Amino acid sequence: MMNKWDIDGLAEKPTINADTEKLKSDLLTLNMGPQHPATHGVLRVEIKTDSEIVAHAIPHLGYLHRCMEKHCEALDYRGIIPFVDRLDYLASMNMEWGYVMAVEKMLGTEVPRRAELLRILTCELQRIASHLMAFGTYALDLGAFSPFLYAFDEREKILRLFEEISGARLLYNYIWIGGVWNDWTDSQIDRVKEFLDAFEPQTQMYHELVSMNKIFVQRTANVGVLSIQDCFDYGATGPVLRGSGYKWDLRKNAPYSLYSEFDFDVPVGTGEMGVVGDCWNRYIVRMKEVKESIKIIRQVMDKLEPGSVMGKVPKVIKLPEGEVYVRSECPRGELGIHLISKGGKEPYRLKVKSPCFTHTSMLPLMAPGQMVADFVATIGSIDIVLGEVDR
Amino acid sequence: MLNELAQKINAAVAGANATVHNAPDAKSDSSVYVEASKIHAVAAFLKSSGSMNVLQAISGVDYVDYMEVVYIFAKFDFEKPSQLLLKVKLTDRVSPNVDTICDLYPAANFQERECFDMFGVKFNKHPDHRRILCPDDWEGFPLRKDYMAQKVYNGMTVYPEGKMNMADREFIVRQKMIKGAQEAASSDASEGKVQ
Repeated sequence: MMNKWDIDGLAEKPTINADTEKLKSDLLTLNMGPQHPATHGVLRVEIKTDSEIVAHAIPHLGYLHRCMEKHCEALDYRGIIPFVDRLDYLASMNMEWGYVMAVEKMLGTEVPRRAELLRILTCELQRIASHLMAFGTYALDLGAFSPFLYAFDEREKILRLFEEISGARLLYNYIWIGGVWNDWTDSQIDRVKEFLDAFEPQTQMYHELVSMNKIFVQRTANVGVLSIQDCFDYGATGPVLRGSGYKWDLRKNAPYSLYSEFDFDVPVGTGEMGVVGDCWNRYIVRMKEVKESIKIIRQVMDKLEPGSVMGKVPKVIKLPEGEVYVRSECPRGELGIHLISKGGKEPYRLKVKSPCFTHTSMLPLMAPGQMVADFVATIGSIDIVLGEVDR
Repeated sequence: MLNELAQKINAAVAGANATVHNAPDAKSDSSVYVEASKIHAVAAFLKSSGSMNVLQAISGVDYVDYMEVVYIFAKFDFEKPSQLLLKVKLTDRVSPNVDTICDLYPAANFQERECFDMFGVKFNKHPDHRRILCPDDWEGFPLRKDYMAQKVYNGMTVYPEGKMNMADREFIVRQKMIKGAQEAASSDASEGKVQ
């Protein structure tokens, strides 16, 4: 596939031909992880390699298993929020929002407009922070150290803002049932504006540094290709599904909160480098999403008007008997909360459908036939957080 | 919409006995119950008819008298996105089992393993039927309501006496009392007071 960036045909991968067939040997079992810098936490992948080519990959999960679903059965509805924070600890705001929406639906709470806007503001900032982390660590996986520092510098600015509004850098407990914990002051909103003005030109630099870098393209284009049908079969969502070219985003296709009022695009993989659905496309979808998030945040700031940030919620939250399944779009895919109540102050059952868990189950599909180094690129491209996989 | 779907399922799969459990108001979601023995045929119908193209999750619920397995489907459709809670009821709590739908939806592989790990539901004909989150030699199924964590695992104390979850303990005591095992209940309760 020719394109303007790929002048020398660098994105083309050498295929396994008859000569490499001759080199086949007995399978060697190799444990990658749980302490391995490229597995993004405590994931252990048992790979059977034939020299440098992976024959099977079996993910072993559970090193971070805390059975938070069991803990939640003994906690009241407000007390669960900090536990939900610890699922995807790189995007806690989005986790909180998903859970809180489920409780609010059962409670029938009206959330004030300002609170909804502030939720969108914080969650989109969180999405940027999360994608920056994905960008930095992905480049680090592939051997480029400096993008990591650039990304963390910018991410830290967002985390400082969050620290100011919520008191914590990573685990916020900021989005509460009925609204948000605290209002943003005007000066804090101005600082978001300042941050965005300084950050937007930076994204262009990231593209020049990494996205269009020849080595980076060689490492990621045509690697770990997923078709749309694969994504449906395995239930993939988020940037993995969009990287394969399916324009599906809950914020657009089944809008919740006030997302229908906003004007933004849903970026999909188009196969500028390599084929649609490869690692490079999944990566570029995230980078484009950062731009869309900036767009949304700017619109939020125009719409913000003074008002209450907390709706009317009873002091002791008791949900009626029933169940809900609520989905929301998180940086890593669709978070689903299945909440069953039998009346009373505690949930009877809380099931978290985690996007990372689903994506981890795709590793055995993508691994066979890859080089070990490409497998590292594949793990990085699905951007998993083990806190969410193991719960 | 669910009534229509249930009718379609009943027409396509003989003996599926699909019934809709309607939510009383907009605050909660409705669900569809089918016969546990027909789940594979129902899932095959959902897939082939294009009603639901994505399996999002498989979850279990322990209602003490019986168990439920909840299949959460979604349709990624631009015009009419929808989701479905499909449930089967398992009355055998000692060795609950249901057919796998792994061959239809590969997403079910990990999800069913998790359901087995957490609830002890056996999925017949599953290609890789192991625990997934807990260690392979762990005892018991954590998300069952009567679960008590083991005290020692491989020589390590994993559940020290002073850190007992009293809510779980009281629950078990209640269960025992219901079943008329008064003696066991009173000894457990007195143990509980010491803590």
